[in-house]
Amino acid sequence: MFASRTASSRLLASSSTKVASTSQIAQRAFSVSATQQHAAPAPVPPKQALKEFKIYRWNPDQPSEKPQLQSYKVNLAECGPMVLDALIKIKNDLDPTLTFRRSCREGICGSCAMNIDGVNTLACLSRIDRSESKPQKIYPLPHMYIVKDLVPDLTLFYKQYKSIEPFLKNDNVPEGREHLQSPADRKKLDGMYECILCACCSTSCPSYWWNQDEYLGPAALMAAYRWMADSRDSYGPQRKEKMQNSLSLYRCHTIFNCSRTCPKGLNPAKAIAQIKLELATGA
Amino acid sequence: MPISLFARTAPRVGAIRSIATVKSTSESEIEILNAQRSNRPVSPHLTIYQPQLTMLLSGLHRITGVAMAGGFYALTVAFAATSILSIPFDGATLVSAFAGLPIYAKIGAKAAAAFPFAFHFANGIRHLIWDFGKELTIKGVYRTGYTVLTISAIAGTYLTFF
Amino acid sequence: MLTRIGLASVRSPVTSSLIKPALVRGLKTIPQPPGFVVGTVNEAYVHPKPNKMHGSLHWTLERGVALGLVPLAAAPLFTGVSTVVDSTLSAFLLYHCYVGFQSCIIDYIPSRVYGSYHNYAMYLLTFGTGVAGYGIYQLEQKEGGVTTLVSKIWHA
Repeated sequence: MFASRTASSRLLASSSTKVASTSQIAQRAFSVSATQQHAAPAPVPPKQALKEFKIYRWNPDQPSEKPQLQSYKVNLAECGPMVLDALIKIKNDLDPTLTFRRSCREGICGSCAMNIDGVNTLACLSRIDRSESKPQKIYPLPHMYIVKDLVPDLTLFYKQYKSIEPFLKNDNVPEGREHLQSPADRKKLDGMYECILCACCSTSCPSYWWNQDEYLGPAALMAAYRWMADSRDSYGPQRKEKMQNSLSLYRCHTIFNCSRTCPKGLNPAKAIAQIKLELATGA
Repeated sequence: MPISLFARTAPRVGAIRSIATVKSTSESEIEILNAQRSNRPVSPHLTIYQPQLTMLLSGLHRITGVAMAGGFYALTVAFAATSILSIPFDGATLVSAFAGLPIYAKIGAKAAAAFPFAFHFANGIRHLIWDFGKELTIKGVYRTGYTVLTISAIAGTYLTFF
Repeated sequence: MLTRIGLASVRSPVTSSLIKPALVRGLKTIPQPPGFVVGTVNEAYVHPKPNKMHGSLHWTLERGVALGLVPLAAAPLFTGVSTVVDSTLSAFLLYHCYVGFQSCIIDYIPSRVYGSYHNYAMYLLTFGTGVAGYGIYQLEQKEGGVTTLVSKIWHA
């Protein structure tokens, strides 16, 4: 019954029967004790901790049907701690048609951004609320066109990011060596370069809700400032000139929802305030 | 011989998967994409977002501002209109009209003017602090926010009753 | 082609109740591109033409007037003020209200959606501000100032 799997035991078994390997002794000893000394334990029902999740559903194959909240019950004892674990469990066990974006499961790719219990965060970083009395509500990012279920259409978001030219622009590249930057100058970029473009901040901003097509939103504006503040970039004045209209930057009314909701703890509102200050004083 | 060989190597009927491909141009692809985009709903926003101090105070700032500006415009336009149209209307009319109101209406009206004024004034200073680059963190926002609420409660009560 | 992928019924975003309820109120709005996407997915968003008057200069003036309003509006609460101070306060306050309303109009009646209604709203606001300015002049002359009148009513 116990096929000798290990190579050593197979060799020993074939060579001699007198010297048995320790693994064979252990197997035989364990098998003897298992059948004789232990009775089968009484079946214990698995610990149930059912949590209800209410998830926004919309099917593009039936577009005339209005979006609805669908309720799922998940046994938290058999599920990981994060909301993304619950979503994956629902997709595996309960409803394979549930659609959402996810990739890294560690809060660095920005795919699983969604609105959980009214707050925009990454599902992989948001712990499930263990109280079994209230359902946990999961919506897609607010005021976005929905492709399916929890998947928003981020095309405009990426177009806005592209429009601020998120790359180094310098006409006088130093010859034959790197483009040097002092540690003090490098420190200015801390808190801005870590942005993972998850769109949580932009979709939490009421100004972005009302004027998405013309206001750039906190994510794109913080990226714009990241390049304005970079000492190696020489196109600062041109970048600032792009903001000189009533809509791209100045629809920001310092509501501060963006910094409040950033799952990476960044501060886009501060970056935007600094753009406004630099435009007013410098330009 | 070749026929039977062919029969053996040919796949069985039913095991063939037919895949139909459609020739399309990039314009028709964009047309399909736009047609899909037109059908998409907009995800809920105000109805589902958690009310937070950040957006609540900002919304209140705007609402109190619009209300008070409406009142200011009403007063000044009334004076301008009555002057242009020669309607007898002056400050004494307003004063006597207000004096004639019952006490609770007077206090109600004063509170309705004082609290928004106090809040908008204090929150306005908070906005100016942000515009100078200070208190631009979440801690700072909440700290100044609660300070503004406290000050406007105290100042509003004082202005209403004194 | 569209029926093959199940897009037989295409809802126009203008009539979809989920997106633009403005049509229900009787105001004709300009239909927006589906998904707000102009051009292909690879083209960057195009910024409006830069104009400092609508940008940083507007912002600086707005903050300057707001900063000036802080002492001007606080002073009448403690002491009576002269007509000159009162006139300055009223002028600053009028500009502050004008800029505030303008911000609301740009936010809620954007020109790309409402077209000429945006312009009508701005004309109405400017006209109303002019009339209110004349009203302030009348108030300063006849009643001795806005703050005088308000304090009279307040203590009536």
